[in-house]
Amino acid sequence: MQVELTHFLVVSTLLFSMGVFAIVTRKNAILVLMGIELMLNAANINFVAFSKFGGFGLSGQVIALFVIILAAAEAAIALAIVLNIYKTFSNVNVDEINNLKE
Amino acid sequence: MNYENLYSSLSLIQPEITISVFLLLIVVADLIFDKNKALIPFLALAGLIIASVQVILQVTNTGYAFPFSDVYLSRKGMVTVDAFGAFFKLIIIISSFILVYFSYVSDEIKKSEKNLGEYYALIFGMILGMFFLSSASDLILIYVALELLSLSSYVLAGFSKLRTRNSEASLKYLIYGATSSGLMLFGISIFYGLSGTTNLYEINTFLASHQINHLTLSFASILIFAGIGYKISSVPFHFWTPDVYEGAPISITAYLSVASKAAGFALLVRFIKSAFVTSDDSLGYWEILSVFDWHSLLILVSILTMTLGNLTALWQNNIKRMLAYSSIAHAGYMLLGVAVLSNQGLVAVLIYFFFYLFMNLGAFFIVMLIANKTGSEEIDDYNGLGYTSPFLGVALTLFMVALIGLPPTAGFIGKLYLFIALVDAQMITVAIIALLNTVIALYYYIRVLKHMFLTKSTVETQTVSVIRPNIIFIIFMLAPVLIFGVYFGPVVDFAKRCVQILGL
Amino acid sequence: MEGFPIISLITFIPVIGMLVILFLPKEKVQNIKITALAATLIQLVLSVILMANYNYSAGGIFEESSFQFIDKFRWINIEGLSWIGTVKIDYFMGVDGISMPMVLLTSIISVIACISSWNISKSLKGYFALFLLLDTGMMGVFVSLDFFLFYVFWELMLLPMYFLIGIWGGPRKEYAAIKFFLYTLLGSIFILIVMLGLYFSAMEILPDGQRVFTFNILTMMDQSNYTQDGILSPFNPNNWRMLAYIALFIGFAIKIPMFPFHTWLPDAHVEAPTPISVILAGVLLKMGTYGILRISYPIFPDITRELAWYIALFGAVNIIYGAFVALAQKDFKKLIAYSSVSHMGYVLLGMASLTTAGINGAILQMFNHGTITAMLFLIVGVVYDRAHTRGLNDFGGLASQMPVYTGFVTVAFFAAIGLPSLSGFISEALVFIGAFHVESIRVITIISTLGILLGAGYMLWAMQRVFFGKLNEKWSGLQDLEMREYIMFIPLTIIIILLGVYPSLMLDVMNTSVNTLVDFVSTNFTNISLGGL
Repeated sequence: MQVELTHFLVVSTLLFSMGVFAIVTRKNAILVLMGIELMLNAANINFVAFSKFGGFGLSGQVIALFVIILAAAEAAIALAIVLNIYKTFSNVNVDEINNLKE
Repeated sequence: MNYENLYSSLSLIQPEITISVFLLLIVVADLIFDKNKALIPFLALAGLIIASVQVILQVTNTGYAFPFSDVYLSRKGMVTVDAFGAFFKLIIIISSFILVYFSYVSDEIKKSEKNLGEYYALIFGMILGMFFLSSASDLILIYVALELLSLSSYVLAGFSKLRTRNSEASLKYLIYGATSSGLMLFGISIFYGLSGTTNLYEINTFLASHQINHLTLSFASILIFAGIGYKISSVPFHFWTPDVYEGAPISITAYLSVASKAAGFALLVRFIKSAFVTSDDSLGYWEILSVFDWHSLLILVSILTMTLGNLTALWQNNIKRMLAYSSIAHAGYMLLGVAVLSNQGLVAVLIYFFFYLFMNLGAFFIVMLIANKTGSEEIDDYNGLGYTSPFLGVALTLFMVALIGLPPTAGFIGKLYLFIALVDAQMITVAIIALLNTVIALYYYIRVLKHMFLTKSTVETQTVSVIRPNIIFIIFMLAPVLIFGVYFGPVVDFAKRCVQILGL
Repeated sequence: MEGFPIISLITFIPVIGMLVILFLPKEKVQNIKITALAATLIQLVLSVILMANYNYSAGGIFEESSFQFIDKFRWINIEGLSWIGTVKIDYFMGVDGISMPMVLLTSIISVIACISSWNISKSLKGYFALFLLLDTGMMGVFVSLDFFLFYVFWELMLLPMYFLIGIWGGPRKEYAAIKFFLYTLLGSIFILIVMLGLYFSAMEILPDGQRVFTFNILTMMDQSNYTQDGILSPFNPNNWRMLAYIALFIGFAIKIPMFPFHTWLPDAHVEAPTPISVILAGVLLKMGTYGILRISYPIFPDITRELAWYIALFGAVNIIYGAFVALAQKDFKKLIAYSSVSHMGYVLLGMASLTTAGINGAILQMFNHGTITAMLFLIVGVVYDRAHTRGLNDFGGLASQMPVYTGFVTVAFFAAIGLPSLSGFISEALVFIGAFHVESIRVITIISTLGILLGAGYMLWAMQRVFFGKLNEKWSGLQDLEMREYIMFIPLTIIIILLGVYPSLMLDVMNTSVNTLVDFVSTNFTNISLGGL
């Protein structure tokens, strides 16, 4: 079977949906962050696949590299913040960190 | 490689270069002067002064930086330097100046003085991100700048780890921010797939000349709007705003409410104008591509934003939280200016932003002075404040009056131009809804005044004495609010000169 | 008077006084009071000078040349770009026969209210600063001939009024103050939106031939200045003029206050301190009717003719409703407040007649109601200061205890009832003559006369309860008037009697302008489709 653009898109859409799903349903901050990573990677797959099948040169791959770097930076900061949360609240459960009232 | 091209490009991004250099200088200075951090704010000031001169020069010196002419025929580049971007950079610079003084006075920041180097380094990171956001004309650069801005501000929101609410603000900001930038990136990837480019001008040309699937494009546009909407805290991406504004240090809250919102608006306008608008007609209305109905989306979002912001603000007891919702409402008004999709609307947004800068930061500054002294941000604790500290009371009253939008303050002129644009575009119903919103807004602003002047304090309230530099600073903030309220010609003139966006 | 900016001076003298007060230390109570009094007195003197130099034969209303004491210069001048026209806003002030009585009224009432504020003790500095700002706002409304300027002044007085009621008011002051603020702001947004609509519909022709949008009220009155497609342009077949007129009218009606928008008034009056009640009843209510005469009538003559019947109807409702509610009051101040509602109904009725007599009567009634009601509120203030209660049934037989006071009360009450030889009679009579003359509203007029009867009823009943009968022992210690109160009552009494026996003093001032207005309203903007509605 020939692997075509559609297949990539299906995979990326699935990843994206799973990411959104994780963000919406998970309570643990780490899992939420993983959901965000899934979204970013779904976009990456798109970039690379479009670039390859659309004949847009190498720009898609370059963009994907940028995104990977940013994702790493974001993960670093995110984990630092989560660590900070853990120190103050002794858990990383998003639902329970709710001192700021409505 | 075309070096001449590179050189001219670099000369166009001088302010950004200055900011980067000073970012590094601050980091180095932080390492060298390990004990004495007093120097760092002045270093930051120096950087801002140089950058501001360069930004002012950009009002007239315009052009495209970093064109990739070797790949495509287009001579338009990744960064567009124009008067419009310069205006927003100016807003950002002015609020950064104010932020430096803010931080200098703020108790919260003083308590974590040993981290002052990081604090200013991160602020410069934000400024850099915002500068690029206001002039980026390539989706990837937009994404990178947005992330730079966001990452710096996540940390700053939780900067003073003195209170638990700081770290909570930080986490909430992070989760909402990262999610919306993830959505935006996915949107960008679809745009890229549809048009084969991430350059806004090329997307424009492509959309104008090719048949594309409207549904896909609308989906991608909405995803990108999610990223922008998060920055300007429009409904339904506003959930982070009250929590973060309440939890973050006041100086950062004030900064987020003005500067980062300004960058978001610059981005929104440039994105729509560069990617979807084909030309201006003689009356200043934009000929927009029919691929996506920005007009309806923006009207809907702005009405929801202002109504929700105003209605929720009614119930708030914490003044920072109240100001957070009020800033959501103000974003709604300004979005309405964008929704007109005309140069008049844009002028209104610029004018509004310029005045909003002073009145909002002024209000936050006084809230901070009071919090420094009393340690409280609850509106109930403001009882009788107008008598114990009349100067602060009167100044806060004037800022609140400006935020309501009553003459003869600048806030009225901002609203007036907005409504002029709406009436000119025959959007009467929308104008009436917006006006009714100002009546709602009156109620919660007045509530603060009521507590300050009308309600007697049950407990002995402390006198908040104001030192002379702070008085001068407050007068400096009040002056534009009052002077431009009766003589606004120059601001309008300047804003008109700044609506020209390159690239049509 | 050439070249001397007397109108601007009249308007801004209080602000100068306010600035002086702000720089005085708050311990210097006497200096603050004297500064405030000086500012209002200078204003009064200037107004009298204005009156003395007033040319009775100039009509005003729609031509700039027949306005007097004009102060005009370009305030905002923003050069146009291709897509947005030049924006020019004028600082444009002047008086004609409609505004002249109001200017005089405002300065008289300000002085009286300032004297009446003499025994305010709480936060004196803030009080007088706000008081003077309020004064400027009111005066500015009456002299502005540019809609933008008018609106700025209109809104300028909201905040001082809020604080003056809210800080120095009675027990429910917070509620009353916010209610006043919300109602009037709601009204002013209607005015704002119509103002912007008019801005985009009428164009002024500059000396160099350029056509620019303008806020100039006089430009908006000339049919030939309208663009073909402006939303409020009479030439546009789908114009919104009817809707705009109604919106504008509601904006002004809230201030009058016209039934059913009147509910803020009793609250505000009851809670406000005496001098502020005086200002509120004496001047603020007139701003609503003045706005209608100055703006709604000449800019929308077509709709005015169309809707005159409804205005008369609302006037009659105000008269009857106000009177009936006043009849039921047990609180002295509330009684006066509702009598205001009733009396402002006469103004509406007179205006709706669109006849010279009716409108003359309406303006005269505005002036007379200003002076009479101011006096009535002072009367309530006198008794409240001494007895700390305002219940009509708490008193009795004060006539024997305070004979001089009762004398003044009698004059004011009879003037309010409309007894001949006192000023109220003349204006009410003119209103009824004018209104009766118009066939379409004759029935309404006849019903409205019931208001006079009711007015006599509630006034006399109140008088009987408070001043006659057996003296309540509790009040045997009440003192008669003191010097300060004489100073307030005597001038007002003189005005009331003088205008009662010699009304031409005031009628001559406005007559030419009223004729011009009536003529203008009945002849302009004819043969126009009423458009959308």
